[in-house]
Amino acid sequence: MSDITPYEGRFRSATEESPAARWTMIGVAVIGLGILVFAPLLVVFAEALSKGWWAAIKSLGNRDALAAIKLTLMIAAISVPLNAAFGIAAAWFITKFDFRGKAFLITLIDLPFSVSPVVAGLCIVLMFGANSWAGGWLVANGYPIVFALPGIALATMFVTFPFVARELIPVMVEQGRAEEEAALTLGASGWRTFWTVTLPNIRWALLYGVLLCNARAMGEFGAVAVVSGKIRGQTATMPITIEMSYNEYLSVAAFSMAAVLTLLALVTLLLKTALEIRHADQLASARRH
Amino acid sequence: MHIEIDEISKQFGTTAALAPVSLSIPSGALVALLGPSGSGKTTLLRILGGLEFPTSGRVRFDGVDATGLTVQERRAGFVFQSYALFRHMTVFENIAYGLKARPRASRPPKAEIARRVQKLLELIQLPEIGPRYPTQLSGGQRQRVALARALAIEPRMLLLDEPFGALDAKVRKELRQGLRDIHDETGLTTVFVTHDQDEAMELADLVVVMSGSQTGGRIEQIGKPADIRARPASDFVREFISA
Amino acid sequence: MHRTVTRRPLIHRSPMPGLGLSMGITLTMISIIVLLPIGALLLKGASFGLAGIWETVNRERVWRALYLSFRLSLLAALFNLIFGVLLAWVLVRYRFPGRRLLDAAVDLPFALPTAVAGIALTALYAPNGVFGALAKEIGWKIAYSQWGIFLALVFVGLPFVTRTVQPVVEEIEREVEEASATLGASRLHTIRRVILPMLMPAALTGFALSLARAVGEYGSVIFIAGNIPLVTEIAPLLIVIQLEEFKYNEASAIGIAMLLISFAMLLVINLIGVWSRRRIGHV
Repeated sequence: MSDITPYEGRFRSATEESPAARWTMIGVAVIGLGILVFAPLLVVFAEALSKGWWAAIKSLGNRDALAAIKLTLMIAAISVPLNAAFGIAAAWFITKFDFRGKAFLITLIDLPFSVSPVVAGLCIVLMFGANSWAGGWLVANGYPIVFALPGIALATMFVTFPFVARELIPVMVEQGRAEEEAALTLGASGWRTFWTVTLPNIRWALLYGVLLCNARAMGEFGAVAVVSGKIRGQTATMPITIEMSYNEYLSVAAFSMAAVLTLLALVTLLLKTALEIRHADQLASARRH
Repeated sequence: MHIEIDEISKQFGTTAALAPVSLSIPSGALVALLGPSGSGKTTLLRILGGLEFPTSGRVRFDGVDATGLTVQERRAGFVFQSYALFRHMTVFENIAYGLKARPRASRPPKAEIARRVQKLLELIQLPEIGPRYPTQLSGGQRQRVALARALAIEPRMLLLDEPFGALDAKVRKELRQGLRDIHDETGLTTVFVTHDQDEAMELADLVVVMSGSQTGGRIEQIGKPADIRARPASDFVREFISA
Repeated sequence: MHRTVTRRPLIHRSPMPGLGLSMGITLTMISIIVLLPIGALLLKGASFGLAGIWETVNRERVWRALYLSFRLSLLAALFNLIFGVLLAWVLVRYRFPGRRLLDAAVDLPFALPTAVAGIALTALYAPNGVFGALAKEIGWKIAYSQWGIFLALVFVGLPFVTRTVQPVVEEIEREVEEASATLGASRLHTIRRVILPMLMPAALTGFALSLARAVGEYGSVIFIAGNIPLVTEIAPLLIVIQLEEFKYNEASAIGIAMLLISFAMLLVINLIGVWSRRRIGHV
């Protein structure tokens, strides 16, 4: 053992790049993400606090700002549970039954991802606007949709429609039907089977889908901008309020509101990463969003 | 080519994979590295191929120190356990790969490459499969394509890691003879790794029996199949070959 | 289904409960939220007529906006294709301090509201912003020019390629790379001829997603674009402008034109994807 030649240190393995190439690529990645992602993140908080904490907090405390926060929370509270219910129902229908046109149905569910949010808003306006057949009737009976809360909720649901279903379908396909079949043969009712067998198996995937759906629902801008009418204190959501403040050169107000939404995004990412680390095996499509 | 392994050892972090081992492989021999998993046989093969570098010791090819040669410089035809065929290339492109990867100065012209690939396809007795993709082949065909691909670079030696491991019993028997024929035809020094003692005894001129231990894999016995059968050097060898 | 000969039933019999309920919820919701509104758009287009659509679209301002949207989206998606593959490689293959943070940061554009991204990018790249001032020194105007739009579109499309390519990089067998090296190929040759072709189908999928997202993007772009007609006015903004003037026919015409062009583009990209996937043999 006297003749030890440290070859390992000097030669790199056949499947590695040279250290120079490696560090160049890491450098490009870090600088790229620094400029594109980290810098915008920092500037939101820097701008929000540019006149101090008090100015930022005061701007969030005025009536219109509070109304916007309340509206956004309400929109999320309506659209996220409905989309979650849809996601569960659609995933159940698609994975527990065999029928013709399944692939087509899945394509339809994915459709909102390839439609511009502005076009989505346009569609809602055309369907439920005051000049349309359905919208006219609803307005006449005192239920305006467009330029009111239901329209905003519909537009939000349109753009977030696929999130939960897309997360659940691959997970439920992978898990198969055997466990549910076993529960049924043991005499469990349909509901009981769902609550005690299916739901525990898909809960992390469901949570994951709901997280993404919620983040998008609270932050949606394009579709909501088209249907909201932008009435301050009534139909202006948080992102719409950001736009209005920004266009009126109320920088602190715009960025303070933006900072609140940024914090929400960061919390979402944190929870999402935690889920990916702890329950990766139960998130089939965790990496594919 | 004559291969000399001189006191080679290998550590992965704190685990010893290979205790210092020495072995001399005469030119043109067909050698089996036989042993259970954890005996360091694959590590030794990979060190010969330049895919791992030894922690200590030297490798000499025809008396010249080759320890520091990179994989590319070694020109060892290596057949992987999974065959590692390139899925996005046809069989033809797979076999031609090594020739096309050469620097422009030493790269044969297109027609010459095509001629050599065709010759290799005939050598493995699959002359028609050039345009096919690896996913369209059977396991046995894939193994032979991997062999042809390794031979295309005009290697100085042939190294095979569990070449029959992924095949069913019937195909295995056929391909053993195939490897023997190719070895005899090319005269290349050939080393293959196996855990199957029948395979080693039936195919190899020289069998190297290896065992694992706390201090890393080591060589129990080197000898002709008949000698090892007749005179096992240790209890380990006796048990392993009778299993 | 009153057919005498049915080869396959519409719905197979199944012991699973909840067929009516799950099918009912699924079909009702997809109809109200997605199909009826999109149907309303198509109906509007039909009543407006092909000639009407063509007349609306065939104006310089609309052509310029459509051309700008699709050209910059393509460029941004191309940038994301290259940067995304590099990022996926770095995140999977290399170990360095801060890797997990970098990995999590890739998803930020998914989670950050587009309006927030829009004003943040503008604050950075406007002539009085941190990066904007630097660029101004060398006479480079980023915000309120097409560069700004490009930047915003890169931001929103950033995660797609990385997230589709990452699992494929993880699955590459090391033996395949080693095989290439034993055959005499340099590392660079291995990357170009073996690794990149293997990543291509997934990268193309990510590219298509990134492109689709960029074409429709509105929130992050309008703040940084400057919105000068004929120069930095994107197609979705044109729709919003028409709607604000209650010109529903014109808005629908542009919307339909956008849908048609993006579906055509996605179709082409998907066909390329199918073709390259078939070659590699895992459809």
